[in-house]
This record gives sequence, structure tokens and C-alpha cells, in this order.
Amino acid sequence: MKTLLGLALRSAWNRRLTLGLTLAAVALSSLLLLGVERLRADLRASFAMSVSGVDLVVGARGSPVQLMLYSVFRMGEVSQNMSWASVQWLEQQPGVAWTVPVSLGDSHRGYPVLGTTPAYFDRFRYGDRRELRLVAGRRFEGVFEAVLGAEVAERLGYRLGEQIALAHGSGEGPTAEHSDRPFVVVGILGRTGTPVDRSVHVSLQSMQALHLDWAGGAPIPGLAIPAPMLRKFDLTPKSVTAVFVGLDNRAAVFGLQRAVNGHGGEALMGVLPGVALDELWQLVAVAERYAQLVSLLVVAVGLTGLVAVILAGLNERRRELAILRSVGARPLDIFALLALEGGTLSLAGSVLGAALVWVLVLMLGPWLQANYGLTLASGPPGATEWRLLAGIIAVGVAAGLLPSWRAYRLSLADGMTPRL
Amino acid sequence: MVRTALLIALLAAAAALPAAAQTGGRGTANPPQYQVGDRLEAAKADKAAPKDAGRYREVKWDELISPSWNPEAIIKSMNLGLMMDGDPRANAALEKLRQEWDNAPGNPALDGAEVRLAGFVVPLEREGNALREFLLVPYFGACIHVPPPPANQIVHVVSPKPVPNAATMDAVWVSGKLALSATATAMGRSSYRLTAATVEAYRKP
Repeated sequence: MKTLLGLALRSAWNRRLTLGLTLAAVALSSLLLLGVERLRADLRASFAMSVSGVDLVVGARGSPVQLMLYSVFRMGEVSQNMSWASVQWLEQQPGVAWTVPVSLGDSHRGYPVLGTTPAYFDRFRYGDRRELRLVAGRRFEGVFEAVLGAEVAERLGYRLGEQIALAHGSGEGPTAEHSDRPFVVVGILGRTGTPVDRSVHVSLQSMQALHLDWAGGAPIPGLAIPAPMLRKFDLTPKSVTAVFVGLDNRAAVFGLQRAVNGHGGEALMGVLPGVALDELWQLVAVAERYAQLVSLLVVAVGLTGLVAVILAGLNERRRELAILRSVGARPLDIFALLALEGGTLSLAGSVLGAALVWVLVLMLGPWLQANYGLTLASGPPGATEWRLLAGIIAVGVAAGLLPSWRAYRLSLADGMTPRL
Repeated sequence: MVRTALLIALLAAAAALPAAAQTGGRGTANPPQYQVGDRLEAAKADKAAPKDAGRYREVKWDELISPSWNPEAIIKSMNLGLMMDGDPRANAALEKLRQEWDNAPGNPALDGAEVRLAGFVVPLEREGNALREFLLVPYFGACIHVPPPPANQIVHVVSPKPVPNAATMDAVWVSGKLALSATATAMGRSSYRLTAATVEAYRKP
């Protein structure tokens, strides 16, 4: 067996270019298959991690998935706000333990600005019921104070006391900046691995003050209110984007949901975060299936290439195999030699692919984290990935048996009597 | 010819990989085997019953209702036949009924009982793809497509071991200790909490 391995290795070294390229093909196809699976699993985990302990998310009536996307994951645009009166109504419903209103729509250099109440820092949970934690400074108290998420502070290099200008609307580039009303950074949050890292947190009153003289969506000349005068205005927010609700008793959530959905004053909607997430996955599942299917086909192509290369190699190795036969190798040895080659190639290829996934996650992870607040785990492969890896290797080994079988049959006579 | 056949067989083997991946991939896509309003049948003696059937007593959803709770009496007392659509009294009656529903008392006899219950999942807390807390409801589509059942027909399940691969409206068997909430509403202690020892996929008996 040892001789056989040595022979296989040295023979393979002779054909290193072709085999190397085949190895690359198998590795790349495994990379695609495993990468798609990794991305799928991690995105789900990352989304599920972003919210915890919130029983109901209430917003203006519309799509539950969309409400979750913008209020929790800060993705997409706010379609409709709900009135402050509805927030007050909600607070008074029986069984409601706490409410945290959030207001979205402004941004700072592409990072979303979240207007909320100080209760947000007490109530909001992520992951396994973990609390938000300040690494520097304090919570916002007055108007024009901001608490930054970890990512914002790190990327933009902000420290406590820095003055920043918020922009109306979202996105980067030339947007309408509220530069006459700078905010002071008073606190920086610890890293959470959730969209909180990408948010700039301000009070609802600041949000209201920011837009006081923005009647009609644009600053009106001559109507500018100097910053010191702002405090004389009533800064009670007029509307918010969504309200996170916590209940005394979680089983009572349906009662509240029905009350919200049937609320006479305004068209509202209550969403159970867990259910909305499942709805989202059902939407995404179709795309996932296609991605899986395509990557499986690519693996099939890679392995077919592997078989084709070994089969084609048989022709040029007729002499080699014949010599082996003539010095006493049994047909079974020839079979084993070739099976070993095919098996080793698919094993090495898929392992290399898995290693590439790991490298890619390490390289791409920070970018995803920075731009979407999603976390990719760079840990060892999950259960499904192991299964896929085993599947690739098994099919690769099985496919490698075909050239082996052919050589086994031919090596008896072929090559000994060359037709010239 | 033999070789061609072999090649085809190999390609077929490669095509079998997707099937392997499908079983590997967790399904949020619940096969539409239940209709809205469907309830789960009780386990028949042996084969559908989970392994720990001996310790936990199987209970039916009806047993969770307090014997003293009688919503029909309230409905009868309302004289609904005499009212028109949109009658303020009808709206008031509906409101009263809703409150009755939301505070429907549980069965004190089941407080602290070790039970086994089959129902559908409404997820609350997740850990990746696994569930740590969910609500168990008696019929498919409850609370999502149709109005929720009364409070004593909703069980808040807390599972110390996260339940893998569970999605909305999956049918499961839950075994564990049932408890009535300590806080009482005007009509009694209405909400159930179940600390799950095991959560298993429901199989049709």
C-alpha cells in the first residue's frame, strides 16, 4: 500500500499542471457550495440575533416584514410613520410592561439615525437577552446629544465631545445636512454584532427639534430658528416610526396584537418579531434554493472535470500502467492506484474549498459588518457544511472509480501490445 | 456501452447531491399539510407516542379550560338576536366577550402537572435557527391568519435546551412541567407556562 501511495504521488507530480488545475476546479466549486451554505446560515443567525425580548413591534399598517426590516435591521426605507397619540394609547393598554418608540429617517454619513427614549438602553436586548452597554460616556439627556454605535465611532474616528451634523434622508453623498444644529457625542456603545453598531442614537426631542423649521420638507429661508431658541418650542414628537413593546405576560401578546390591529384611531399593525422573521425566510427561501441548486451544479461540473482529466490521462499513461503491470502490479493495484488519485483529488479539493471559505469569511466579514451590520461566523463548519463536505468527497471518490474501472479492464492487454 | 452506462450512473450520483443538501437544509418551508383551523390528533397507543410517554400524561387542549369557565352563559345573556349590525350594544357585547377571551381562566388542577401536549409553534425567542421560547396553540393558523384562541388555550413554552430547526406553525409534541401564572386577572389565573423537557416533531398517528 505504501509503495502504491508513493507511486501515485510521483506519477501525479509528473502531471502536476493538469491535476493542479483540476484540484482548483474542485476547490472553487466546493467554495461556492460551502460559501452559499455558510452565508445562508450566518445571515439567519445574524438576523435572529438582532432582536430579543421584544414581544411586539407596532407600526403603521403595511408589510410586517418591511416593518421589521427597517425598524430592527435598519434596512430599506420607512414607508409610513404612526402618530404620537397612538404611542400614548399603546402605553395604556392592559398588560403592557414597557414601550420604546423609535424614529428613523435621518442619517449621518450613511449611518442611520435612531430617535428614541432613554428607555431604549434599558429595554432593548440582542442575542441571548444581552443588554446594551456603554463603553464610554453616558446616555443622551438633553437635546442635540448623540450616542454612537461601536461601528460608527470606530469607522469615523469619533470621540466623546465631537460635534457631528446629521443629514435628512438616508444615503451618502450630497444630502441636505442639518449643519446649523450640530450634535455632541456624549456616549459610545459597546460592540454588539447587530445593526445597533451602525446606528446614531438621539432623543426623540432632538429629532423633533431638528425638523422644526423644515416645513414642507425643506428649510424655508427667513424662517430659520436659531439653536438657542429651540428649547422654547414644544418638542413633543409628532410621530414615530415604530414602537417596541414588552409585555408582563408573553402569552398575552395575541390579545394586544388584536387590539392594535383593530385600533380605531389609526391604521396600525402589530408584528411578532419571530413570526415576521419566519415570513422573511420564506421569501428568501426561493432565492436560497436557486443559489443552492446552481452551486450544486457547479460542483457536479467540477467533479465531471475531475473524471474527464483522469480518463484523458489514461491514454497518455498507457505506457506507465503497462510497465507497472509488467513489473508485477496486479490489475487490482492499478485500480487502487487510480482510485487513490481520484479520491485524494476530491478530498484535497473540497478541504481546500472549505479553507477558502474560511479565508473569505475573514476577509469579507468586516465589510459586511460595516455596511449591513451582519455578522459572519469564522468558526468551524456547521453540521450542514460537514454534510455537504462529506457529500462532495463521497461523490468525488465514487466518480474516481470510473477511470479506475476502465484502467482495470484495459491494463490486462492494453499498452503491452502498442499499436504503432 | 458499459462505460457509457457507468458514466450516466455517476452523473446520476452527482445529481443525488442536491437531495442530500435538501435534507441537510433546514426547512422553513412547512409542507402545507395542515389547513387553517386544523387540530392535531392525539397519539395512538404506541407508535406516534414519543419515548418518554410514560412519565408525562398526555393532555388534550380542552382539559386546559377551567371547568368553571362558561363563555356560552355570557353569550346567552346578551340577547344578540335582538340587535342589529353596528348596534352600539352589539359592539359593547363584543368588547366584553373579547375581555372574557383574553382572561379566560386555566384549570387549577393542571398547575404543576407533568404533561405532554401537541400543538403548533409561534416563535418568540430565537438563537440562530433554534428556538428558546415559543407559544403553543391548539390549531393551525391560530393567531396569524385567524383570531387568537382564548388565553387558556395558549401555552408559553420555555425550553432550556434550544429547539433546532423550528419555524412558525410547525407541529410539535412538548413534554414538561405545566404551571399557571402566579399573577391573577379579575377572572382567575389565566396563562400557562410550560418548562419543556423535550420538544419533538409531531408525527401523524
